[in-house]
Amino acid sequence: MADLVPSRIEVRDLTLTYGHDTVLDALNLPIPRGKVTVLAGPNGCGKSTLLRAIRRLHTGQKGQILLDNVDIASLGAKDLARQIGLLAQNPSAPPDMTVEELVRLGRYPHQAMLQPWSERDGAAVNRAMDGTGVTGLKTRRIGSLSGGQLQRAWIAMVLAQETDVICLDEPVNHLDMAHQLDCLDLVLKLNQEDGRTIVLVLHDLNLAARYADQLVFVHEGRVRALGQPEELMKPELLAEVFEVDAAIMTDPVHGRPICIPRGRARAAVQEVA
Amino acid sequence: MSTLAVSAPAERRFGIGAIVLIIVGLFVLLTLAAIAFGSTWIPLETVAQVILGGGEKTEKLVVWQLRMPRVMAAAIAGAAIAFSGYLLQRITRNELASPGVLGVVDGAALGVVLFLAIFSNESNALTVSVAWQPLAAAIGALTAISLVFILSGRQSSSAIRLLLFGIAIAAVAKALTTVFMLIGPVYQTAQAARWLAGAVNAISWSEIQIMAICLVPTVLLAAWLAKDLPPADLDDVSSRSIGLNLPVYRIAVFFVAAMLTSIAVAFVGGVGFLGLIAPHLARLLVGRARFAGILASCLIGAMMLIGADLLVRVAFTPLEVPAGTVTAIVGAPYFLFLLMRKDKTNG
Repeated sequence: MADLVPSRIEVRDLTLTYGHDTVLDALNLPIPRGKVTVLAGPNGCGKSTLLRAIRRLHTGQKGQILLDNVDIASLGAKDLARQIGLLAQNPSAPPDMTVEELVRLGRYPHQAMLQPWSERDGAAVNRAMDGTGVTGLKTRRIGSLSGGQLQRAWIAMVLAQETDVICLDEPVNHLDMAHQLDCLDLVLKLNQEDGRTIVLVLHDLNLAARYADQLVFVHEGRVRALGQPEELMKPELLAEVFEVDAAIMTDPVHGRPICIPRGRARAAVQEVA
Repeated sequence: MSTLAVSAPAERRFGIGAIVLIIVGLFVLLTLAAIAFGSTWIPLETVAQVILGGGEKTEKLVVWQLRMPRVMAAAIAGAAIAFSGYLLQRITRNELASPGVLGVVDGAALGVVLFLAIFSNESNALTVSVAWQPLAAAIGALTAISLVFILSGRQSSSAIRLLLFGIAIAAVAKALTTVFMLIGPVYQTAQAARWLAGAVNAISWSEIQIMAICLVPTVLLAAWLAKDLPPADLDDVSSRSIGLNLPVYRIAVFFVAAMLTSIAVAFVGGVGFLGLIAPHLARLLVGRARFAGILASCLIGAMMLIGADLLVRVAFTPLEVPAGTVTAIVGAPYFLFLLMRKDKTNG
């Protein structure tokens, strides 16, 4: 797949150390244009760190991140923010900020000293709020929103940034099932309708396999495997990366692979390959 | 959709413009009243007349030479400290941040006491111009806030850690100030003592001039920096991912806030408490609006210092109780109230 679609982003020899801990170890990763790439891996494997490194948010990261063959180290802070958007894992804003205020902040990289708020900025904000369904909440304060509303408001802020690449760090954490699907469907829509390149960190392997075009297993600071979900959802690989003994089946609804990790306390009733 | 049972914030009920206008009105009234009060009462309309260029000779003398300087000094210094507090509270995303808590006030005090100790002669006169005093205060203040940053190191993005280190540095600076007051050759003890509590009574027009000249560029720089405060309201990762160079910006704001406070306290002494309270009240009144918030903070800060000075003149005459004592007595309970309230904003 990576051979057919030219990569939007190339991560080359990315290394990041904190003191004596090597969080990312000479990591290489192509991120194909217009596809959904999902980073998965056990806790502490470096997947969130990798996502932030793609957005150049770590000081002291070594190696290159090439965006359309341009090293992002050569881009200014606002330049980069017009090209790659990122939704943090636990974003926080003052509770008395309104939803519209938050979404408007997404236009910050598009504004310059002598170039105040323009019609284009207003249109982008309205589009972002419409697309995420928060237009009706725009005068509400952040502190009064439910978890699902809050997450949509933040996604609206990232959308208002109008970047071609959007990174989301565990966007469905703390959301119930319905809101998890709402959120991921929204992300998928951005990808399918606008052709945006999406990079997601997801904890839930079955959701990852359902939404990914390219699935990436990050393990001990390196990319252990990458490819289509069918290629990666293999019992041996899951045993190695996630340390679970899992049965792999095909989800009868979506036709995507799903894994069922075998519990140790509850005995299996049926043997599946 | 569930609506939380919270009373509508003040700025929504009355409009920000109206609230700011009321604050401006109160400020003008208090300023006139502060000039009118004293050993003799000068009617408000006479005060207004003198300010507009009229009035008799004695009235002119009392207003312009005796009362105006301390009111002006209180207004300018109070506003500068409140502006500094506003910047610090927003950049740390913590309503308990203030120039006093971050060690700026005590650092500046130490700078001035050392300056007075080094550059005074036996006849109680300064060997260099008093114009250098704000520089000494600034060096002390910047040293203190730099130490706070260096010591908190990688944790400096955590507002709580920053405040804890600030409190520690402030305590050390305060102790050193006392030590130098006691053992050092401080000939101008009176001038130095003013420092420990803060007072505007002995200020002269030339000192006000120096204060104003130092403040103008600092205030302009602060106002320019204030345009980037909204993205900095977000958490670190979010504000950086929308293109704000937060580490650099944060240091710039801390620097400017330290400068504002140190210039003000160089002349009026340790009146740090209003740097905590004024921005907080402003935020309660006008909400998040940036420039209205800054304006309201400055006016409230000015009013607090003018009011404190007025109170000591009226209530404690002929004793000159330092105005900083009054702001602390009023401010400390408010600080306790903030601490005891359920903490909602700190992440």
